[in-house]
Amino acid sequence: MAPPQLTWAAIRNYQGRAVYLGPPPRSSLWLMLLCSGAVFADDLFLDSQPLPQVLTATRLKQSAAAVPGSMTVIDSELIKASGARDISELLRLVPGMMVGYISGNQATVNYHGTNARDARRMQVLIDGRSVYRAGLATVDWSDIPVAMEDIERIEVFRGPNTVSYGANALMAVVNILTRSPANSQGSRVKVTRGERGINDFYASQGVGWDTGDLRLSMSGQQDDGFDSDAVGADRRDGRRLNRFSLAVSQTLNAQQSIEWQLNAKEGTNQRPYTYTPVFAGITEGGDNSDVTAKDYSGSLRWNFDFNPDHSLYIQGSAQQWDRRQVWKACDAKVSFSPELTRLWQLNPNYAEKLARHMDAYSQGTAPPGSAPEQALANQVLDQWRTGASQSVCGDIDQSTRESRYDLEIQDTLSLSDSLRLVSGMNYRYDRADSDTYFNGTLDDTTWRLFGQLEWRASEHWLLQGGAMYEDTHLSGNSLTPRVAVNYLINPRHGLRAVYSEAIRSPDMFENNVNWSYRVANLSSPTYGQNSGQYFVVTRGPGNLDKERMKSRELGYNGFFADIGLNVDVKLFYDEITDMISSPLRNNQYIASNANSSRFTGAESQFDWRMSDADRLRFTYAYVDASSSNPLDKAQTARNSGSAGWLREWGQGWSSALFYYGDDALNQYRFERVDLRVAKRIALGKANVELAGMLQQRLDNQPTTWADNNYDHRQVLYFSAELEF
Amino acid sequence: MGEQSRMTLLFISRLWRRALLLVCLLLTAPAWSADILLTAAEDGAGVQAFAQALALQRPEDHVIFTPLNELPTPSHLPAGTRMILLDLPGLDWRLQDTQGPPTLVLRISRLQANQRLGKNLPAKISLLWSDPPLDRQLRLITGILPQARRIGVLYGPDSEFLLPELRQYAAPLGLEIVPQLWDNTNDSRPLQALFRNSDVLLGLDDPQLYNPKTAKNLLLSSYAQQLPLVGPNAGFVKAGSLASTYSDQADWLAVLDRLLDHPPASWPRTLYPEHFKVVGNPQVARSLGIEQVDETNVAARLAEGEKRP
Repeated sequence: MAPPQLTWAAIRNYQGRAVYLGPPPRSSLWLMLLCSGAVFADDLFLDSQPLPQVLTATRLKQSAAAVPGSMTVIDSELIKASGARDISELLRLVPGMMVGYISGNQATVNYHGTNARDARRMQVLIDGRSVYRAGLATVDWSDIPVAMEDIERIEVFRGPNTVSYGANALMAVVNILTRSPANSQGSRVKVTRGERGINDFYASQGVGWDTGDLRLSMSGQQDDGFDSDAVGADRRDGRRLNRFSLAVSQTLNAQQSIEWQLNAKEGTNQRPYTYTPVFAGITEGGDNSDVTAKDYSGSLRWNFDFNPDHSLYIQGSAQQWDRRQVWKACDAKVSFSPELTRLWQLNPNYAEKLARHMDAYSQGTAPPGSAPEQALANQVLDQWRTGASQSVCGDIDQSTRESRYDLEIQDTLSLSDSLRLVSGMNYRYDRADSDTYFNGTLDDTTWRLFGQLEWRASEHWLLQGGAMYEDTHLSGNSLTPRVAVNYLINPRHGLRAVYSEAIRSPDMFENNVNWSYRVANLSSPTYGQNSGQYFVVTRGPGNLDKERMKSRELGYNGFFADIGLNVDVKLFYDEITDMISSPLRNNQYIASNANSSRFTGAESQFDWRMSDADRLRFTYAYVDASSSNPLDKAQTARNSGSAGWLREWGQGWSSALFYYGDDALNQYRFERVDLRVAKRIALGKANVELAGMLQQRLDNQPTTWADNNYDHRQVLYFSAELEF
Repeated sequence: MGEQSRMTLLFISRLWRRALLLVCLLLTAPAWSADILLTAAEDGAGVQAFAQALALQRPEDHVIFTPLNELPTPSHLPAGTRMILLDLPGLDWRLQDTQGPPTLVLRISRLQANQRLGKNLPAKISLLWSDPPLDRQLRLITGILPQARRIGVLYGPDSEFLLPELRQYAAPLGLEIVPQLWDNTNDSRPLQALFRNSDVLLGLDDPQLYNPKTAKNLLLSSYAQQLPLVGPNAGFVKAGSLASTYSDQADWLAVLDRLLDHPPASWPRTLYPEHFKVVGNPQVARSLGIEQVDETNVAARLAEGEKRP
């Protein structure tokens, strides 16, 4: 029997001549050294091509059952099937989300409730960038510079999460994720036309190259808003806007990549003329107070993967919100009386009483009051008698310009298979320019430090906890903790218990408003001037404390894989204390931390893929609200929900039927059924989709406010989309 | 320091002299006069380790590795030799002669064979497939994702020929193959179209589609849709695929051991290794809410299934 022989160290050519004798070539030694780190090193049969580790511990997310809170994901299929033209309308698919309208172009979205006119307690992000206005602390849903067609999905975190998303993530977080440039290749053109003046377009072009991808999109939107106000007059709340968006992703090397975006939006939002003269006998006035809205934003994100267990990103963004709103106002010349202004500062109630009954008081003397009040009042009455009762018109400029610069570093470190740490810091600079609201410029800086630890204690137990420290120049510092325990029955079914605290810093408007109207271009000289300062001045208290929220939640999330059913149920008990709930009005705005609210209830969502062709979806929320200020529960519907049925009929036909309903949002019921029928036609490599959308209101009530009425309960619109 | 390097030099020169002596002894017979002759164009650590392991596995055989460029044409080799080719240049070399020793070709995929040979299998050559067998991968899917029914499959011009076979295996398992042509990997629209209509993706071992350049986009976009990828090979599992079957050196040694025990006349024309393992990515499974893949158990179950007729 021949001994085993190996001849690689003594190689000859086929003529039997020795040509090389010696140790193995150095190159193969190097190869061995290089490969020694790899798992399958030196195994000839395991693929040796150097594949990057893509789905690393730092990139992978928690499974739905292990999420430390309640989450609703509106995926691209739902977005398309809903036929929605606005993000706010999509949020009707989220249990507990209260969607209302101040006017046709001013949606208000609240999770569970609070604050009738402005949603200030929800964080809204687009690709990680907060679009919450820097100064006035609202979200202009209609003005968000992102087209529906560019949205890949919307993740809604239902509950406070300041640890992950920063202050203002008090009640919920809406995270809008746009389609990645790599998934936006080719050309898309879409046109939508319909009743109520609906006239939208979208066009995008995506290109890719070896190391990157780009998407450019242009879009526009137009409609008439509601038809009539409470008294049946034409409602002035149409809108027209155009958007531009450029998104680029670029791989620098195996470890680094950058993503950047530029977005711009310009448009006009109609506003009805609402100025009513303070002084009797004034008949002149303007006819609108329309807003020209321009939004710009740019962001740059640099991702660095040190290794599969450690990654970091730095994101910087700059945003600007320009709202130009100039309108004509007419009132008596006495409005600009320096004495009346002083009187207002002394005692607004007294000043208002005098102003409202000027004619009556001018027959006699000033109303009873303190000596200085009466002295000023008599001077004002003298002015009234000597010509200040004449009407004068001028331009009121309520324009604002808000800017935000934001820099964030976030580090994700997988310490072991069962331990992951996310930490980072954030710096934000906010600035608001407004003569009307801030008498010039106001700015604020915010520093944040945050950290969250995820610990998978065992196959079944998952503990997640974290804290955020925030320091705001205008309103001090705070620390908020958050703890969640998930018990995974198995990987698809989990129970959770969450306790979190959250804070909301008072925004610049609430705390620091310095609200007065300077009226320019007066039609006749008043007090010797062509412009004047309106006598009503409102100031914020400047010492407001933060709002505090304590939230407790018990939940279950499960996926029944064999029937394709996803279920999420949640019980909650949320309390807000030190609540600032005064409405933002310019006569007698007295903000304080005196209010509180409590929300308890249950929410559920079911998403059932019954078959390859059918998908059913239900959401329902029961919310019980109690609040010290009745206005804070007006925006809470006790029962609300949605139901949807999506079906593919074959041969390119598809349909989607949705029902949305809530009882008594601001005392008005809302029920609507939407039907979308679409046909997809392949034209060679191109695809055309024709769709018809019908929205039918089932109730006869105004939408949220008495002034929001449609002439007809249904609206029809059509869209045609070409992809090639 | 200098002393040490002088010592090293001395040692090396002694080693060289011994090696020379050994070579002189070996020169008495041509290097390829072996029972089993291994060859490859590239002589890396993996090749060496494998040749060594095979020699240990078959102590009764004279196992020799000779680089390809040092071999005569196949017909000049002794008829009693059994050849094992370890790479594709080896196959090209072997194909130049219809005559020659019986040959086992390792590390060749169905796709590579189809490109080189089409449907014609040359005589005296057995092709031992390196890509995981399609039916095994499909059964792996039914094993770890029992609810998955629509199997999304990306294919290119090179791998299209596998589709009929895939459908044939899928039908008895109650699976539906959803094929999608992806002929331009810079354009990810076909991926999106496929993701919408699949419960799971099965990767074909087609390097045009699955390579270091496409891996990131493929894995990230399928993960974004919460869609697991199975296959195309063990390397991809580390990158982020959910699981795959594979055969490593130990498996191949077992396969070869069995084949070499039989006369070459009884060797199959083509063969998928009956020895294999399963590898899973626990982190990906966890994130997708899927039970961890019990590699040993699943492999045993699959093997059990293959034994039945």
